[in-house]
Amino acid sequence: MDLTKKNRIRITNSFVILLTMALLLLMLFPFFVMLVSMLKTSKEIYHIPPYWLPKHPTLKNFSLVWNTFPLAAFFRNSLIIALGTVALNTFISVPAGYAVARLHFPGKKFILFAFLITQMFSPVVVVISLFKIIIKIHLIDTYLSVIIANAVFTTPFVIWMLNGYFSGIPKGIEDAARIDGCSRVGALLRVILPIAAPGLVTTIIYTFIYGWNDFIFSLSFLQTGNKYPLTMGLYQFVGRFAIQWEQLLAAAFLAILPVLILFFLVEKQLVSGLAGGAVKE
Amino acid sequence: MSDTTLTLRNRKIKGEAALAYALLAPAVLLMLIFMVYPIFYVFVISLFKTNKLAKIQSFDGFKIYAELLSSKDTWIVIGRSMLWTVLGVTTKTIFGLIIALSLNVKYVGRKISRLLFIVPWASSIPISVMLWQWVVHSEFGLLNHTLRLIGVMNPPVWLGQAGTAFLSCMWVDIWLGIPFMALVFLAAMQAVPQTLYEAAEIDGASRSQKFKYVTLPGIAAILLVATLLSSLWTFNDFNTVYILTKGGPAGSTNILITYVYMNSFEWLKWQKASALSIFTFLILSTVSVLYARIYFKREEM
Repeated sequence: MDLTKKNRIRITNSFVILLTMALLLLMLFPFFVMLVSMLKTSKEIYHIPPYWLPKHPTLKNFSLVWNTFPLAAFFRNSLIIALGTVALNTFISVPAGYAVARLHFPGKKFILFAFLITQMFSPVVVVISLFKIIIKIHLIDTYLSVIIANAVFTTPFVIWMLNGYFSGIPKGIEDAARIDGCSRVGALLRVILPIAAPGLVTTIIYTFIYGWNDFIFSLSFLQTGNKYPLTMGLYQFVGRFAIQWEQLLAAAFLAILPVLILFFLVEKQLVSGLAGGAVKE
Repeated sequence: MSDTTLTLRNRKIKGEAALAYALLAPAVLLMLIFMVYPIFYVFVISLFKTNKLAKIQSFDGFKIYAELLSSKDTWIVIGRSMLWTVLGVTTKTIFGLIIALSLNVKYVGRKISRLLFIVPWASSIPISVMLWQWVVHSEFGLLNHTLRLIGVMNPPVWLGQAGTAFLSCMWVDIWLGIPFMALVFLAAMQAVPQTLYEAAEIDGASRSQKFKYVTLPGIAAILLVATLLSSLWTFNDFNTVYILTKGGPAGSTNILITYVYMNSFEWLKWQKASALSIFTFLILSTVSVLYARIYFKREEM
């Protein structure tokens, strides 16, 4: 009896592992293709029939792409947009998150509800009017236009996440600080924020990734190529006829790597934040 | 005596509310100026004839709405968006469930599998979409190479024909959405108390019975939230279609979200695009309100 049960578990496990491998193959195929293709020479990548693996693996594409594409500029622009989004978003969301988590005021429910709903809107719904507004306030073709738009679309979710983190801090700690003579703002800066730091880091990383991955606002508001972030920069090259895919894929690898690493740090908190109270971190 | 404490208390509450509004002001202003006002503004634009520079010309009333509602193209695009969303979310849910179930079994290497499944979601989405463009390349792509190897003599030019282009876009969107579903379902499954499974086992439940009577009810609530959320994201997926096909060939892959964008920034029909934005807004608000209500209930529990 016990033995058959053990066997059954073993059979299930091998079935599950096989299934997992098949599914992983499906989910990771493009990344596999990227990894092998970026190591191919130009001749190899345009060979018919295609090779699975590079015959003479080379890292030359990385130096080629660095020299032929303005890749350094794209990186710098992505960084400016992502960090700018983080700065603006944090500056706006932290006080708001504290207010909804800690203070009593009429209209709180409505505000939380409104933030939750706007979080779901597509940038496309407002991109036309944003475009006109951005022209009117002379921000067209500036990083700031993209930063503002990204901050608008990250703020609601971040306030919700911070609401969760701040609510989790026992009220007694804040009260103790205030009895010791801290003002509310002082208590927020000196007591609440340090305790909520891990949560704050999560929202900062989330916002950074959002800014790094922006495509639609850069596409709509940036007009000169030397301001393009990586997403737009690479897209522009995909659109060209005589495109060197092996170099482009090397660039894609470099563009993906930073956000991939950052994402792994926050994925659990993101999932629980998105799914509401039902899923715990 | 009690009067003074009451006024003191009142004053404290008032002070607290004032502080709250002050702290909320930047966020609320940002949303009012760059989200609420633009929605109102896009509605205003839709009531006016516009030139190519998106400048408002002359008042046109609701004519564009009547025009759009009686145009076959509008309904084709809306219908395609619905098909896109329903098929996309269904497939994501099924794959998500299968992956979550397989990750819920204990074996060596499970943690690594879990991490690897996240990669499509964790990568930069616009760039992942560009990767697919190379993967499905008709001559040099490894997808068609694989198909030729297994005996498909003339694999399709995926992005070159209406049907296969739509399928390709749909698959890429599905592929992007699967990891989130899998992770949420896995987290929900792991929250189902182990004792329930043990009890079911004692009662002699089979594996499929355990899934049907323990797992599914255990994750039902989260299933609802996740599918709603996924519907919004799927409906909103601009990157996939724009980057892969720009809605082509011949408009055959446009969904509402890309149709709005093509009409505005590409074809410069700003009035029409604005009216279509309002359609999109109405559809999105309906689903978001539904999602927000459910989310609120869960938060309060």
